[in-house]
Amino acid sequence: MAGLTLKSLRKSYGEVEVIKGVDLNVEHGEFVVFVGPSGCGKSTLLRMIAGLEEITGGDLYIGDKLCNAVEPRDRGIAMVFQSYALYPHMTVYDNVGFGLKLAKAPKDVRDKKVREAARILQMEHLLDRKPSQLSGGQRQRVAIGRAIVRQPEVFLFDEPLSNLDAALRVDMRMELSKLHQDLGATMIYVTHDQVEAMTLADKIVVLNAGVVQQVGSPIELYQRPANLFVAGFIGSPKMNFVDLTVEEIGTDTVTVSGKDIGPTTVPADPTSLKPGDTVTLGIRPHDLLEQSSGNLAGEVSLVERLGNETNVSLRLPSGASWLAVLDGDHELRIGQSLPLTFAPERAVIFDKTGTALHPR
Amino acid sequence: MTALSEAGAAVSPGAPRAIRRSPYPGWFFLPAALIYGILFLVPTLASLYFSLTRWTLFNSTFIGLDNFAQFFREPFLIQGLVNTVIYAVVTSGLKVVLGMMLALLLTSAVMARGYLRSVVFFPVLVSTVGVGITFTVLMHPTQGMINETLALFGIKGPGWLVDPKLALLSVALVDVWKGVGLATVIYIAGIVAIPKDYYEAARIDGATKWQNFLYVTLPLSRPATATVITLSFIGGLRTFDLIWAMTRGGPGFSSDTIASVIYKQYQAGFYGLSTAGNVVLFVLIAILVVPLTMLLNRRQGHE
Amino acid sequence: MTKLSSRLIGVAAILVSAVVFLVPFAFIIITAFKDKQQAALLDFTWPNGFHLWSNIVEVVTTRNWMMVTAFINSTILTVASVTLLVIFAAMVGFVLARRKTRFNGLIEFLILAGLMIPPAVVPTIWLLQGIGLFGKLHGLILIEVAYGLPFSIILYRAFIATIPRELDEAAIIDGARPLDVFFRVILPLLWPVTVTNIVVQSVGVFNDFTNPLYYLPGNANATVQLTLYNFQSQFNTSYNLLFTNILLITIPPLLVFLFFNRHIVAGMTAGAVKG
Repeated sequence: MAGLTLKSLRKSYGEVEVIKGVDLNVEHGEFVVFVGPSGCGKSTLLRMIAGLEEITGGDLYIGDKLCNAVEPRDRGIAMVFQSYALYPHMTVYDNVGFGLKLAKAPKDVRDKKVREAARILQMEHLLDRKPSQLSGGQRQRVAIGRAIVRQPEVFLFDEPLSNLDAALRVDMRMELSKLHQDLGATMIYVTHDQVEAMTLADKIVVLNAGVVQQVGSPIELYQRPANLFVAGFIGSPKMNFVDLTVEEIGTDTVTVSGKDIGPTTVPADPTSLKPGDTVTLGIRPHDLLEQSSGNLAGEVSLVERLGNETNVSLRLPSGASWLAVLDGDHELRIGQSLPLTFAPERAVIFDKTGTALHPR
Repeated sequence: MTALSEAGAAVSPGAPRAIRRSPYPGWFFLPAALIYGILFLVPTLASLYFSLTRWTLFNSTFIGLDNFAQFFREPFLIQGLVNTVIYAVVTSGLKVVLGMMLALLLTSAVMARGYLRSVVFFPVLVSTVGVGITFTVLMHPTQGMINETLALFGIKGPGWLVDPKLALLSVALVDVWKGVGLATVIYIAGIVAIPKDYYEAARIDGATKWQNFLYVTLPLSRPATATVITLSFIGGLRTFDLIWAMTRGGPGFSSDTIASVIYKQYQAGFYGLSTAGNVVLFVLIAILVVPLTMLLNRRQGHE
Repeated sequence: MTKLSSRLIGVAAILVSAVVFLVPFAFIIITAFKDKQQAALLDFTWPNGFHLWSNIVEVVTTRNWMMVTAFINSTILTVASVTLLVIFAAMVGFVLARRKTRFNGLIEFLILAGLMIPPAVVPTIWLLQGIGLFGKLHGLILIEVAYGLPFSIILYRAFIATIPRELDEAAIIDGARPLDVFFRVILPLLWPVTVTNIVVQSVGVFNDFTNPLYYLPGNANATVQLTLYNFQSQFNTSYNLLFTNILLITIPPLLVFLFFNRHIVAGMTAGAVKG
């Protein structure tokens, strides 16, 4: 039993193409997260899978069935909306059982399934209430319960946690994770929050402007981002970037230097490079270390002392703004010059098209 | 049928084009469209033709613009036209001014506000014929209560509905009595919606009550004013019930409006002329109301 | 403004409004209590004796209980036309609000036209005769629906915009077909607007004089407004009976007013403030 397959999926609104050919394979039982900035098309893609948006081009397979022309209710999917979309005039019981009622399921079957879903989500005591009498987290649960009751092949989540406050979000994240383990169902989850993506996903799909940037596990995306976009999107705080010139090519290294950084040899795939080329070097804030004999230095512009670590905003000689996160507490003055270094293996080199040149 | 939410999705070559039924089906329009189309649009369009004929409902002879020529030739028909405009201007003007005044009164801290609002609004809901009959009786030149009360003060009350010069205006006054409550209620909604911040800013600037009204209340209740003017003006142009209940267009033709003319011609069997009256009314409304609406909305845009 | 002067204005306002707005109604009530002779005086004296009941009986039984027939007709007319109006207008408002087609502009224009253009009465009679609905109550019902659609559609369209589209989508995923979405999800949520619409349209149809006058000639089918109008000649000298009639037909709107005042006001100001 397969999960989900997208083949060259396209979506246009009139002349404007918003999804530009997406290929994706989702295994049964995988938790896949679509992540990307606003407007990247992640919600549109989800809605195309749900059947709420027409597919302009390409094929969608749910299970093994070609579903382009299939009605949402026959696709074996269930969806949890960002605003939960609970029917305000119905009780929780009727909300959860609405689909079954429409399908004319016998009353006792309906009752059994609704109560089972309520049990899984620990909301049996809420069944007689109306949505307006529930808290955000409770409504969330009812929305999930409505989805569970459909016993779908694929669960679709459209930014379900973005309406919750921070503390609740953390709790619900863990509950969702547990739910996934318990049900073992395929789940597709859309969010703009990369922390949610990193913590929940088996596989992350990073989207930008309707194009898939990279598909991989959270750690893969963190350690080997495919391009500048993914590198800058995944990981908080953002990766630092600087443009440098290639000085020398090695077998699997590249030596780069520039106004801000002295000559540094970084492991990379040098095949497409020659000396004199401009490349971008990326290094994460956590990977910068204070060292008096470091190969780069910046002027401190802002210091945030958090106790266990210190966030330092720096201005580099070329004018670029960088962020360093140093372990422990460092007392630094604004305006002072801070010498830094980093382990070359932690750096990533990007060519002028933005593609990452990881060592082979 | 086309897709769910967007219009005109482009077809990409090579892909199996998904055609699914929309949850917002076009046939939802059908019952309303049928009733509206057949019972309203068809007669309206037909009137454009039949106004150019001499008509007996069973056959019609084309006579070109004769009906309209007659309309603008016969004094009693012209009178109806003129009356209609006067009536509309007077009633909407009074409703706007009095409605605003009442609204200001009813949104200030005067006592028994709830009672006042109910009392002012109730006439809107009452039968027009009933109101017409009642005021006809009250306006009786000698026995009516209005003139009898005036007589107590030594004033000889006019012949409200029997004096040809006054009849139309008397009916207009009754119209305002009945309808000002609606204008008031609309204004109240508009005034209440004005954020307190503006008044507080004006207070800091040292504005007097009159300045408050002129520079805060009046401009910010423009949408309400626009609505009241438009609604009462159109209503005034189309007025029939009250005129018919009170004067039947009399004495003579002094209180005829186009709507009562239409009815009279219908009663007399001059169907073509009656329909021409409808067209005249339609055109009148169009040439008066459309620029009016544009004027009102354009001024709003300058806010 | 000082406290005293604002109080004075308040008192003055109450007095003036009492005189202007209440006296006519008081007159109606008082005259309805009088007998024929006293009523003919057309003044504001206190009735000599309680003749209201006998007046009512006489008005109701006159001409073979015509008032009762009229009340029944008016009720059927109001209930039927308002019911159809609510359902059909909600359907249109729903699709109009949700679905952007190139016809939307045309439909908006037609609706606006309906609010402005006076109905062409003689051609309508000609049409009704052609389809056999002239002079029949169900013909008038359809007419009232047709004339009431523009206002109702506008009301619904504005309100449906406040129901999130996601509810439709959730229902679709749950397996709802278009009629399910409309009747099980949308219509229940439209209840506040429906109440307002029912109230406003009911008062309008009940008080309608012009349309029954044109399209429903003949006594068997008269509505209460028509019978009142026709009784003018019959009760020519019996003002007590005439005003009893007026009193009787003022009762339904009064009841509506007492129970639904809030809704009426809300309905009539809907959209007015935003222009």
